[in-house]
Amino acid sequence: MEAYLGYGLYILSLLTVGGIYAIFALGLNVQWGFAGLFNVGIVGFAAVGAYSYALLTTAESTFHLGGFGLPLPLGMAVAMVASAFIAGLIGLICIRLRSDYLAIATIGIAEIIKLILKNESDITNGPRGINKIPRTWEHFSEERFYSSWPMSWFGTPENWDAFFDSLPNWYWQPLFAGTILLVVYVIYRMLERARMSPWGRMMTAIRENESAARASGKNVTRRRIEAFVIGAAIMGLAGALFAQHLRLIEPTQTFDSAKVTFLVWVMLIAGGSGNNKGAILGAFLIWTIWSASELIIGGAINLIGAIFTTMDASILQTRAGFLRMMLIGILMQVILQRYPGGILPEVRPASPKADTKVAGTTGETK
Amino acid sequence: MKNVLMATAATLLATSAMADVNIGNPMAMTGPIPDLNAPIAAAVDLAATHVNAQGGMFADGEAFNVIRADSACDPTAAVDAVTKLINVNGVSAIVGPVCSGATIAQAESVAIPAGVLTLSVSASSPAISTMEDGTDLVFRAAASDAYQGVALAELAMANGYSDIAVSYANDDYNAAIAAVFVEAFEGMGGTVTANEAHEPNKASYRSEVATMGGTSDNLALFSYYGSGGITLMRNALETSAFTNFIGADGMLSDELIEQIGAENLMTSTFTTSASDASTPSFAAWAALADEAGVPASDPFVANGYDATFMMALAIEHAGSDDREAIAASLRAIASGPGEVILPGQWAEAKAILAAGGDINYEGAAGNQDFDENGDVAGNFSKSTIVDGAWAAELIQ
Amino acid sequence: MWDAFGFEFVNFYFIPGLVLGCIYALGAIGITLTFGILRFANFAHGEIMMSGAYLTWTMMAIAGAAGLALHPLVAMVPATFIVILLFLGTDRWFYKPFRKEDTIKVVMASFGMMLIIRSAVQVIWGPNQLTFVPGIARPNATLQQITGDLGAMIIMPNKHIFIFAGTVIIVIALSYLLNRTRIGKAMRAVSDSPDLAHVTGIDVDRVIRATWIVGGICAMAAGVFLAMDIQMLETTMGFRMLLPMFAAAILGGIGKPYGAVFGGLVIGLAEELSAYPWIGDAPLLSPGYKTGVAFAIMVIMLIVRPQGLFKGRSF
Repeated sequence: MEAYLGYGLYILSLLTVGGIYAIFALGLNVQWGFAGLFNVGIVGFAAVGAYSYALLTTAESTFHLGGFGLPLPLGMAVAMVASAFIAGLIGLICIRLRSDYLAIATIGIAEIIKLILKNESDITNGPRGINKIPRTWEHFSEERFYSSWPMSWFGTPENWDAFFDSLPNWYWQPLFAGTILLVVYVIYRMLERARMSPWGRMMTAIRENESAARASGKNVTRRRIEAFVIGAAIMGLAGALFAQHLRLIEPTQTFDSAKVTFLVWVMLIAGGSGNNKGAILGAFLIWTIWSASELIIGGAINLIGAIFTTMDASILQTRAGFLRMMLIGILMQVILQRYPGGILPEVRPASPKADTKVAGTTGETK
Repeated sequence: MKNVLMATAATLLATSAMADVNIGNPMAMTGPIPDLNAPIAAAVDLAATHVNAQGGMFADGEAFNVIRADSACDPTAAVDAVTKLINVNGVSAIVGPVCSGATIAQAESVAIPAGVLTLSVSASSPAISTMEDGTDLVFRAAASDAYQGVALAELAMANGYSDIAVSYANDDYNAAIAAVFVEAFEGMGGTVTANEAHEPNKASYRSEVATMGGTSDNLALFSYYGSGGITLMRNALETSAFTNFIGADGMLSDELIEQIGAENLMTSTFTTSASDASTPSFAAWAALADEAGVPASDPFVANGYDATFMMALAIEHAGSDDREAIAASLRAIASGPGEVILPGQWAEAKAILAAGGDINYEGAAGNQDFDENGDVAGNFSKSTIVDGAWAAELIQ
Repeated sequence: MWDAFGFEFVNFYFIPGLVLGCIYALGAIGITLTFGILRFANFAHGEIMMSGAYLTWTMMAIAGAAGLALHPLVAMVPATFIVILLFLGTDRWFYKPFRKEDTIKVVMASFGMMLIIRSAVQVIWGPNQLTFVPGIARPNATLQQITGDLGAMIIMPNKHIFIFAGTVIIVIALSYLLNRTRIGKAMRAVSDSPDLAHVTGIDVDRVIRATWIVGGICAMAAGVFLAMDIQMLETTMGFRMLLPMFAAAILGGIGKPYGAVFGGLVIGLAEELSAYPWIGDAPLLSPGYKTGVAFAIMVIMLIVRPQGLFKGRSF
C-alpha cells in the first residue's frame, strides 16, 4: 500500500514539474509558434520571475535583500510583470533582428541576467541563492502564515498547528499539482482564444509573410513586441512556480540554459509548435521521459550486471548520468526527424472551413 | 505512456530485493564537479561494502544497499532524483547531495515534507544550519564554512602573511568560505589587498592574477581544482604573480600534483578536514582507503565514508529501517557516551549494539559529534608537499 | 612576478588576450562558415573542438605507450581525420535531413548533437580531468633575453609561441584556399548568395563538404591550442568557449572568415583587458563579470551594427 502511495506521489510530482514546463512551453509558443520569434533566452525570463517571486515572498533574511514576506499571489503577479518589463526592454531594441540573430542576442542577454544575479550578492545572496521559498498550499502550515491574517481570523495558531499535524505530510502535493494544472488550463484557454481572434490570425500573417502584413497596414513591430512580452510574462509566472517547486534557487545550476531553455524548446518542437495542445503534451511527455529515464537506465544497468556477471558494471553505473543525456539527445534527433511538425502539428485558425485540408498536409510551418 | 514507463521502471527495479535496507544516495554524478564527486561516490560504496562484508544489517544480515541517483549539483535534478528515491525506491534515508544548493533544495522540497532524514556528505553552506523549522531531519558530515574559513585565517597568520589577496570561484561553496576567511583574517589584523570573485571554468585567468599579483605576494585561493582552480594556479605560477598560496579543501587533490608538479607546489598550503595520519581514526580510514584504491585525503572523500557508515550504524541502532527512528539514532551513535568505533569496525559496532551497548563513532574526517543543528565542528589539518605528495598535519 | 621592466601590460594582459583571441578566432572561423554557407548556428561546434582535443590526447597516449613522445601538434594530424569524419557524419545523418526545412530544426539538431557528443566523450573518457601536458610552462629564455636586451622584455612560454605560429599558418592557408582555389571561391560565392551560386552551376553539396572540412580543421586546431594553453582536458571546455566564439563571429560579420579572426582577437583581448587596473589598483571590471564581456560586446554589436564590422550578412 505504501509503495502505491509512493508511486502516486511520484506521478503527482511528474504532473507538477511537467505542468510548470507546460507553462514555459505555452509562453514559448506565443513567441515562436505564434509570432516566429526565436527566443533562446527562456532561462533569463525564468530567472527574473523566480527571483522576483522569491525576494518578495520569503520571510526576512540576513542572506539577501528583504525577504518581504508578501502574499504569494502578489509575488507571482510581480514575477509576471518583472519578466514582461525586461522583455519589453529587450523587445524595443532587439525585435527587429530576425531569426538566428535574435536567438543569439537573447542567449547573450540571458547569460548577462544570470551573471548579474550571481555577482550582486547583496541583493540575491549570489551563488548561494535564496532558500525557504514558500510553496502554495504547503506554506499554510508555516507558522508565519497561519499566525497572521487572513488565516488568524479562522483559528488560533495552536488550532492551525494541530490541524496541519493531523494531515498526512503529503497533503499539499495533490493541491499544488492541481493548482499548477489549473494554471496550465487557464493559460491554455486564454491562448486558444487569442489564437482564434483577429490578433492571432494577424500574428500568423506576420510570421508567414511579413511584407504582405506590413503592406496591408499592420503594425508588425508592435505586434511582435506584444507577443514577446506576453510570452515572457507567462515564462515569468512559470519561473515563479519553478521557484516554489524547488524552494531554493541559485543562478548557476538552477538556471542552466541547457536544462531550462533547451528542454523547453525540445518540448515545444516535439509537441508541435504553433499548437497549444502540442506544447502541453510535449512538456508532460518529455519531462516524464527525462525523469523516468534515470530509473529505467539505472535498472537496465543493474539488469546487465545481473545477467553478465563477469562484466564489471560499476563503470557504467558511475557514468549512467552521461549515458542518459546521450540517449535523450538521440531521442530528440529521432523526434525531430520522425515528426517534423511535432506530434500535434499546427492547425491554422484562419478561415477554418477552407483550410483544414491544407493545414493537415503542410503540417510543419515556419 | 506514464503507466507503461512506471511499469517498466517497477519491473526493472524489482531486481533489487525488497527485504534489504535501502538508502538513497543522490550524488553530483554529472554537472559541474563530476571529478570531485567520483572519489566521494567510491568512498560511499566502500562503506557499504564494509557493512555488507562484516555481517550486514540486523540479526539476519540483510544487505545494505546504496541506491545512487544523479543530483548533478543542481536543485532541479536533486529534487527530481530524491523524489524518485523516496517515492519509487522507498529508501529509508538520504545520504547525499554533494553541493549545498542541491542539498537544501532536495531537503526543503522533498525530504523534510516526507519526513526523511538527510545526511549530507559535503554541503558546507551556513544556510543549512538554520534551514529547518522544528524538525531534526538534516545533518551533515562536513563542517560549515564558518569553521574552515577561520582555521585558514589562523593558518595564514601562523605562516606570517600580513597581507593577502583573495580570489574565489563564484560558486556556492567557494564564495561562502572566502567571505568567512576575509572577515576572520581582517579581524586578526591582517590586510586583504584584493578580494575578487572569478568565474569558474574560464580558459585563462592571467589578467586577474596579474592585477591581484601587483598587490601582494600571497594568494588565498578558493576554488575547485576541477573547475578553474588548477588553471588559475597555473596562470599565477606562470606569471610568477604570487609566491605563496593557501586555500581550502576544494583545491587539495592528487590531481593538482599530477598536473602542476610537486616541485611547483612547495609554497602551497591547503587546509582540509582533519586528516592527520597520527590520529587513530584517520589512520584506520587511510589504511582501508589505500587498500580499496580510494584517494583518502581528496576533498570530502572521508566525509562520504563517514556519512554512509554512520547512516548504517543509525539504522542498526534503530533496529529497523523505519524513517522516523533514524534521526534520534544518528545522534546516539555519533557522540558519546559509548565504545569508540573507528572507520571499518562494523562487526564490532554490530556486536555492541546487539548486546544493548552504546557506541560513539569517531569518523575519518573528525569526531562527527552533531550539535543541535545537526552540524559537526571541524578539526582541520594543513597539507603541504613532502616528498612529492600531500602530507597532512593537524592544526586545531 | 617576473620583473618585466614596466612592460607588464603587454606581457600579462595583451599577450594572454591575444592567445585567447587566437583560440576564439580559429573556433569562430568554423562557426562563421557554417553560419554563412549552411545558414545555421552550430551549437555542436564547441563539442567538436573538445572531442578533437580528446582524440589528440588519445593519440599521444597511444604513442606514449609505444615509447614515443609525440608533440600535440603532431598527434593532432591523425586526430584531425577522425574529427573531419565526425563532422561529415553528423552532417549526413543529422543536419542534411533538415536542409530544406526551417532553420530552427537544424539548430535543434545541432543542440542535440552537442549533448550526444559531450555525453559520448564523458562515457568513453570519463568525466575526470585529463592531464594534457603536466607542469608549469616557463617563459622562453632566449626570447626573454633578446627582448630584454632591447629594453622591452617579452615573457612568453613556448606554448604561446606555438599557438601564435599555428594560428598565423592556418589563417594564411585559409586565405590562400578562399582566394586562390576553385572550391574556396565557390564557398565564398555560396556564402554571399546561395541562389545565385546554384544558378551558376556550383555543386552546393561539394561546397558544404568543403565547409565541414575547413571548419573541422580549424575547430581541431582551436581545441588542441586550448588544451595546450590550459594543459588539461575537461569535457565542458568546448561549451564554455562556444558563446564567445559566436560573439566573435558576429562581431566580424557572419560569413566573413577574416572578420571572425578579427572578432576573435577583439573578444579575447577585451576579456583579458577587462581585468586591467585602468583606474586605481582594482580590476576595471570585477572578474566575476569577465564572461559577460563577450556577451555584452555581442549584444551591443547586434543592436548597433548587426552586419558586423566586416559587413557580413544580416538576416
